[in-house]
Amino acid sequence: MRRLAIVAAALAALVFAGCSEKSESGSGERKIERFNVILDYFPNADHAGLYAAQAAGDYERAGLDVELKPPPDPSAPLKLLQSGQADVVISYEPELLLARDKGAELVSVGALVQKPLTTLMTLDGTINGPEDLEGKRVGTAGLPYQSAYLETILRNAGVDPETVKETSVGFNLVPAMLSRDVDATLGAFWNYEGTDLRRRGRKPTILRMEKFGVPTYDELILVARRKDLDEEGASKVRRFLRATAKGHERLRAQPSVGVDALLKVDPGLERGLQTDVVSETLPVFFPEDRDKPFGWQEPSEWDAYGRWMFEQDLLKQQPDAATALTNEFLPGEGLDPGATDAP
Amino acid sequence: MLAAVIVLVILCGWEAIVQGEAVDELILPAPSAVATSLWEDRAILGPDLAVTGQEVLAGLLAAVALGAALGVGMHVSPAVRRALRPLVIGSQAVPVPVIAPLLILVLGFGLAPKILLVALVCFFPVAINLYDGLRRVDPDASKLLRSFDASRWQTFRLLEAPAALPAAFTGLKVAAAVSVIGAVFAEWAGSDSGLGHALLTANGQLETARAFAATFLLFALAVGLYGLFALLERRVVTWK
Amino acid sequence: MRTQTEAPVVEPRHVQSDHAGMTLSGVAKAFGAVRALDGIDLEVRPRETVAVVGPSGCGKTTLLELVCGLLQPDGGVLHSAPAALMPQRDGLLPWLSALDNAGLALRVAGRSKAEAREAAREHFAAFGLEGFERTRPAELSGGMRQRVAFLRTLLAGRPVLCLDEPFGALDALTRAQLQRWLAGALVREPRTVLLVTHDVEEAVLLADRIVLLSPRPGRVVAELEVDLPRPRERTDPAVVELRERALNALGVV
Repeated sequence: MRRLAIVAAALAALVFAGCSEKSESGSGERKIERFNVILDYFPNADHAGLYAAQAAGDYERAGLDVELKPPPDPSAPLKLLQSGQADVVISYEPELLLARDKGAELVSVGALVQKPLTTLMTLDGTINGPEDLEGKRVGTAGLPYQSAYLETILRNAGVDPETVKETSVGFNLVPAMLSRDVDATLGAFWNYEGTDLRRRGRKPTILRMEKFGVPTYDELILVARRKDLDEEGASKVRRFLRATAKGHERLRAQPSVGVDALLKVDPGLERGLQTDVVSETLPVFFPEDRDKPFGWQEPSEWDAYGRWMFEQDLLKQQPDAATALTNEFLPGEGLDPGATDAP
Repeated sequence: MLAAVIVLVILCGWEAIVQGEAVDELILPAPSAVATSLWEDRAILGPDLAVTGQEVLAGLLAAVALGAALGVGMHVSPAVRRALRPLVIGSQAVPVPVIAPLLILVLGFGLAPKILLVALVCFFPVAINLYDGLRRVDPDASKLLRSFDASRWQTFRLLEAPAALPAAFTGLKVAAAVSVIGAVFAEWAGSDSGLGHALLTANGQLETARAFAATFLLFALAVGLYGLFALLERRVVTWK
Repeated sequence: MRTQTEAPVVEPRHVQSDHAGMTLSGVAKAFGAVRALDGIDLEVRPRETVAVVGPSGCGKTTLLELVCGLLQPDGGVLHSAPAALMPQRDGLLPWLSALDNAGLALRVAGRSKAEAREAAREHFAAFGLEGFERTRPAELSGGMRQRVAFLRTLLAGRPVLCLDEPFGALDALTRAQLQRWLAGALVREPRTVLLVTHDVEEAVLLADRIVLLSPRPGRVVAELEVDLPRPRERTDPAVVELRERALNALGVV
């Protein structure tokens, strides 16, 4: 009789154990989905938050197998996105608006960098403001909106743009300045090239565009295809943005986690430089308004910038922030994607 | 000997120019800085050299196979020649920086697109030199073999193929010299390793000395391959 | 307006014959608009050495190539035993040794490398090439190269030899030596020989009969019998006299 009771108890225990396991797997396990992200450029400090999230397993815990890939060429990310080869790409606000102007159904789902990073930069000690650019040579990367930035800045300072010689120097902005082929450049980032030059004892003069007449904008944005944002796609984007926000918080608490992750991807990067750049950039990874979530895009700013682009004849139609961007997938906005991460 | 002296003189002049601050060291690093980088950055540049070396060697192998097939094919068959010669020549007109991203798009970030691009850049000199060499055969020797009733295969094996070897080696040497270019462009279009990639990263961080060091290694790779083929040529073409 | 020569060929114009001589009847050959040979009538008996002499461009090489079967005549009929060609420039392959060059015809015929070398080696001493078996053509003297080429032609094992100005590229001394040597070689290994040369004296020294061709288009303008005993010396008055007669017939002198 006793033996029977023991066997019954053992069986019961097994049954309960089996049941509880099933319920655990029912709620906690999630299948891992592929998520392709194409960066705007080679992995660098601007991407430190993403790499921090990846290294800490934030994406994994969100059920995403995220691959961060650099682009084959700078104009590729939006093209690759449109052809369905990526889930999200990092691009630039003007590039997105240009693409949408041509009919591309793409939308910005979050801002990676909240402010412009592009600047007017010079190593010429005699140039302290745009008014000193009269009669000088300025190098740009040849992008049409950069010419527009320059023109706006000059007019704002009362300088006739005709007196300033603009040349395209491709991506060789810094060498152009060092060799004095140009007196100043427009296109270098204050957080990146600015920091690099300062560390090397050159004293760059940095003029932030939004202070000299160009409407502010988000330098780096995360873009998705509208048609990928069905229920399943939206869930993935939400989880991705939430994990990315987490990664940036880790970065803020301890910048070295991001830098370490970057260096693993490209050992050729300089730890000192990347660390300094991360520190410089941290403030603009997050919105000024603390109540707003990571990645917040200010519609009124987008409208102002879009209007400026339209007035500069860069766009055929005036864009509407309501359709160009959406904040609904940012952490805390819209639906909660569900229980996920451990700290 | 004289070449070595000239190089030394240039290096000294170069060092002096940079030390004398006539040129910004971020634009033109001194030879001493480049040499230092070669040593100090060896943990990065070493593996990168191995990767690019792999891409180049594999690509050259593919180029030799393809080039040989084309060179012989065009020589032996007028139909093949008519069909392929314009394509072969046209393939070289497409700029490498344009093809590279396309290959990366289709084939991804691995080794395959790099090998393919190197092969694309290198097969042409191999094919065209081999084809020319096969055509320029001593007409008297040709008549001779015909008079002995040699078959087409015999004429190829006994006369045309050996006669074409010097030209073939010229093609190989040219291919070796340009092989590195293909690898670099492919890496620039999409790679996380290799000397081309190291160059980009170094440039992006104003690490000009390392960029020059990477460039020097690329140059050494090309020269080394050229030398290898030249050595092989001396072994095989023993009658010139 | 169509001419006769455009009529389709019914029978082959070049016929291999069993006996070791050749017959040409009205053989003509043109290359496009250029008429190289015009109605050549020639008969060569077995074991006979016939020298074909004429100015440059008179179609002498074309004649040899027709006999060897490398070209087909446009007109007339040509009967010939199998012939081996020794081209104007020796045609030695620079990457092969003297031995391998000599054995080339045998390799083409399907014999192994070893067999071909053995067959060639036997003759090297007789040809004054002993010790140079492994030497490459670039390192051989002009005279030696011609001898290797001649051995190669012999080893082809054909009854007819077509020699195209075999000594043309040599200096006078070497040429004289080799003429003497060839005369001796043909005594040892008799063949039917068609020898093309621009050197009348050479023709007299080596041939049984001399055929003189006109400038293009080549026609036979004269035939001279050389009924002199061998070996012949160039200082021999009979040789000199015949030479004069030949030059006269050619319209030179």
